[in-house]
This record gives sequence, structure tokens and C-alpha cells, in this order.
Amino acid sequence: MPVPHRSLKGVSVSIIGIGGSSLGDVKDDSEAGRIVAEALDAGINFFDNAWEYHDGASEERVGRALSGKRDRAFLMTKVCSHGRSRAVAMQQLEDSLRRLKTDHLDLWQIHEVIYDNDPDLHFAPDGAVEALTQAKQQGKVRFVGFTGHKDPDIHLAMLSHRYPFDTVQMPLNPFDKNYRSFAERVVPEAQRQGVAVIGMKSMGGGGEPVKRGAATPQELLRYAMSVPGILTTVSGIDSYDVFRQNLAVASSFTPMSASEMAALEARVRPISGDGRLEHYKATKIYDAAVGRMQHGFPSATELPA
Amino acid sequence: MSRRQARRDFLARLAAGVSAGVAAGAAIAPDASGAQTAPSGVPRRKFGRHPDMVSALGIGGHHVGNCATVQDAIALVHEAVDNGITFCDNAWEYNDHRSEEWLGAALRGGWRDRVFLMTKVCTHGRDASVAMQMLEESLRRLGTDHLDLWQIHAVVYDNDPDLAYRKNGVIEALDRAKREGKVRYVGFSGHKDPRIHKRMIDLGYAWDSVQFPINAFDAQFRSFQQIVLPEAVKRGIAVLGMKPFQGRGDPFHHADVKLTPQQALRYAMSVPGVTVTITGMESLDVLRQNLAIAKSFVPMTAGELQQTVAAVAPHAGDGRFEIYKTSLAFDDIVTRQMHEQPLLGAEA
Repeated sequence: MPVPHRSLKGVSVSIIGIGGSSLGDVKDDSEAGRIVAEALDAGINFFDNAWEYHDGASEERVGRALSGKRDRAFLMTKVCSHGRSRAVAMQQLEDSLRRLKTDHLDLWQIHEVIYDNDPDLHFAPDGAVEALTQAKQQGKVRFVGFTGHKDPDIHLAMLSHRYPFDTVQMPLNPFDKNYRSFAERVVPEAQRQGVAVIGMKSMGGGGEPVKRGAATPQELLRYAMSVPGILTTVSGIDSYDVFRQNLAVASSFTPMSASEMAALEARVRPISGDGRLEHYKATKIYDAAVGRMQHGFPSATELPA
Repeated sequence: MSRRQARRDFLARLAAGVSAGVAAGAAIAPDASGAQTAPSGVPRRKFGRHPDMVSALGIGGHHVGNCATVQDAIALVHEAVDNGITFCDNAWEYNDHRSEEWLGAALRGGWRDRVFLMTKVCTHGRDASVAMQMLEESLRRLGTDHLDLWQIHAVVYDNDPDLAYRKNGVIEALDRAKREGKVRYVGFSGHKDPRIHKRMIDLGYAWDSVQFPINAFDAQFRSFQQIVLPEAVKRGIAVLGMKPFQGRGDPFHHADVKLTPQQALRYAMSVPGVTVTITGMESLDVLRQNLAIAKSFVPMTAGELQQTVAAVAPHAGDGRFEIYKTSLAFDDIVTRQMHEQPLLGAEA
């Protein structure tokens, strides 16, 4: 059964997307290429990425894998200016287009909006938001948005500017519902503004909930894809086996009922209230190098968590 | 109220010379919180709504255990007390109990009665009975039969208030210890998020004290000074400031941060409403530097406070110098274990 699709302003997008960072972790190009090709054949067209993933190697890998198939994909990548100027952002766009072997992106998002002052920096004159507008005007990107894994307050500050973002990306899983919740606070505001919601970290980022037996991958992925108003769920897939597992969930997808979702949230509540299964919110583990540097934070070696 | 609105209100109050903790319109001098100058020169201040007077500078207990030897720790504490410091901080878990042991060694022989002795209980969500056992251990190590102040340590995870207030939780132990005469006052401490502190207060327990970071960076980032301090002052809860040097002095290693240690400590001691500023001192050099500031202390004016806040503003908005708020770096191993947090970097 083909993977279901949803509409982003008339453009058809699969309900699951292939995460670009994890695709860079797949052991070689051959296996990554096989995942991308079979994903396309199964109806998955959404491909996530970021300028900074694996120092550009993730974009290059997707560029090679989509060679000759670019038109079948809904291609997203993210800009990593982390507070620097519009010119830095536009240069990164050129880098990304070159690595991805294309002349346009379907979606370009501001990456890792996770520091309290990021909204001020991105919306400052000559900041990243101006680059989004310029890239759209130049026809280099169709849609624009932003993403971050840290704090709903930061997302809400971005949305408070009422800029016409097409998408906003955030962690969505049953643990989130019990801890600094994007689902509670950001999803409703995005819907009010007509901004499409992209989910990520359906399995807690590193699969910790699965490893400790708190929930199955099938439950967690199905939960994330069922959040009301969601466009697609970016899924971290670092091997062909994980690809087959997640494809099976997406292909046979039927939305969870509200009561099923509530039951899962209640089940994991005792292990959710301190962020122990959401390291991306509660620790520095998921905060990448370029952002740390631009914000004057110690490196991951000096400040791992 | 959003964080942004709170920040604007806070800066407006500073500009107007109005204490953050006093009702609008009631302008007071920054050091009007019952301050007295001891003969030795270190100012003393009233402990919240209670009559006790404590020194405006306090000895951080963690660093007592970082002295080179126990003899060094004893010498440091004795020199501090002889120079007018009365407030001694500690915690059951600091340096695997060495901090309490070494402070206890310094307080034997009559010194105990010259200080206002605090330590902290480290249940991190566990039962009241665990807390009472820790209290006995702390009393034994400190060589005393009572504490002046017993605080809940490291209230730093979002669910800590609910765990503290639950049936058979640590708050029941605070009450029991008070009833049994083993502690005079009780409070709580944490370095992470003012919203967690606010909830601890809002849930209604009659706290005698509350401890949190107070420095010029905090004034504009997830600010305890904006969100917690006014609530504490309103209720007569003594305000124990900590981390006047950001926990480990990081800003002073950056040439582009325009702040000296003298300014930093003076700022922390001058924030309207603060009772005592607790800081770690692991050598006589550091003690003497801080004593010099405390003995000649003149509170910053509202304008000076605001200038100090403005001077560090370019480096304050993302918490880069408040990693106790933005990372796990200052969460002790036991704290992390009880909340099943990663131990990465915990040994540092």
C-alpha cells in the first residue's frame, strides 16, 4: 500500500519523511541509495536535511541518491546561520543547492532555533528571515519555515512576528505532551496562523524509550503521525532495517483515536515529567557545533550535556 | 507574563530605583533590608521575616571541600568567621560528604555557635524517611545537634515541586525536623529555572528561605531576579543569592566581557531584597579578595545596577555564561541519577 500523503498548500507530501542527519549515519552510499530509491517507490517523497549535517556530507549523499529523481522528491534543507547575516544564509543556500544537485528547494527552514535570543537574531535587520524572503522571491525555494528542539517559548516568539512561515518543525511524541509541550502550546498557534506542522523525534531522538521498553517503535511513530494538524513526521532512519520497520508503519497508517493517544500519554507520564526521555530539551546533547560556537557556548567535548 | 515583558518591567523598576520586591511606588534605598554593619565590617542583614541577623557574604560549602587539606579548610573558615562572616552553606552530597566533614572539623571547639549553619537535603524526589536519615548524617558530620537552616537541594527538574509536595515527600521531613528541634528554619535551593522556584512558592508552603543565582546575567535571562525575588520578598522569605561569579568565573576569561570580579560580587550583594550572597572560596586568597569587597561594601545605586546589567547584555541573552541554567553541568551525580539524566560530563 502506498504511503499516504497530505497537502501543503496544494503540494502533496508523504506523511513520513526521511531524516537527513540519520541518512548520513547509514553505513555506505549504496545502502543509503537503496533506502532513498525504495522510499520514492513506496510513495515517500519528503527528504529532510541541513547545511550542517555531517559537515555537508548528508546533503551530498542525498544529492547523489536523488540524481535523476529530483523531480519525484519534496526536498527540504535548513540554513545554519545561527544569528549571522543574510549574506551568510544566502551563501549557505548556494552550498546546499550545489550539494543537492538542484536549482531549487521545496522547503528551506531556519535550523535549530533553540537559544532564547534566536528569534531576536533571526528577525533582526539583515538576518536569516530576510534571506528566506529573498530566496523565495528569487524562485530558489518554494516554501520556508523554521525548526528547533528546545523550548515552546522560543517557537512561540518566532511565530509572534506573524511572518508568513509555511512550516514549523518540532518534537512530537507522547513524552512531549507531559514536558515543556510543543503539542500543547505551539501546534494550536501554528494552526491558527495556517503554518503547517512538521514533527520530529517521534522516538525521543535516540530511541531511548524503545530501548527501555517504554513503548514500541510502531506505537511511537503512529502516535506522532496522528497529532491533529500535522503535515509529516521526519523520521531518523540510519539503516535499511529501520527503514523497512518505519515504512511498514507509514504504509498501513490509520490515525490513533484521541483516546488511544491519551492512553499512551498517560502510560508514559511517570517517566516524562523531568525530560529524561527528551534529552534534546533537557540537555545540551543535541545542540550542534555551529550553533554552540555562534552563541559562545563551550564545545560538546567541554560541555557534553 | 512573558519573559520579555517581565524583563522590561524589571529594567523599568531598576531605572526607577524601586526595589523589585516592593509594591509599585514604594521607592527604597537598595540596602534598606534591615542592613547593619558589624564591628568587623561585613554587613549583616535580617533573615527574611525572622529576627536573626546573618552576614551579607556566605561561605559556599562545596568549595570548603575543594581546599587542599582539611587544615586549609579549617584555617579558611576560622579566618572568615573572625572577619565577620556568619553564614555557612553546605549540602549532604557535596564532594561525597567531604564538604560537611571539613566544615564540621572547622566548627568544633565552640565555632559552631558563632555561625548560622545551613545544609541541604538531597532526596531528589525520594521519601521523607530518606530525608530524615540524611539529616542525622549531616548533623553527625557537622558535629552539631541542630541546623539553623535546612534546605531542599537542587530543585532543578520540572517535576521536582510535585515530588517535594507529594504525600510522604521531603516537605513532610522539613516539618518533622522543625518539630523535633533539629532545624530552626527550612527552605529550598536550585540553579535551573525560575518557573520551578515560582511553583515551589505558589504551592503554598511557609518557606523561611529560598536560594537561587543572582548576578547581572540572570537579570536578563530566565531571570530569578524578575520572577522569584519579588515573590520571596513579599512573603518575608529570606533570599539567598548564589553564583555571583557565574558558578566558575567563565566571563572573567573573556576579554570582551566588561565585568570585574569586584563589580560582579558588588552587584550580587546590592540587588534589592537579597539577604546573603553565597560564594565558593577554596583558598585564603579568594576569601581575602571577597572579604575586602564585603568589608568596604557600599550598595550599588539603581543606576550602577542598571549599568552593570547593560554592560553584560551582549553576552546574556542565550545563557552562555549561565550554564547552570542551560546544561546539566551543575547538576550533581545523585541529582541526575534520581531523575535518570545522562551522566555525561558529571565527573568534571
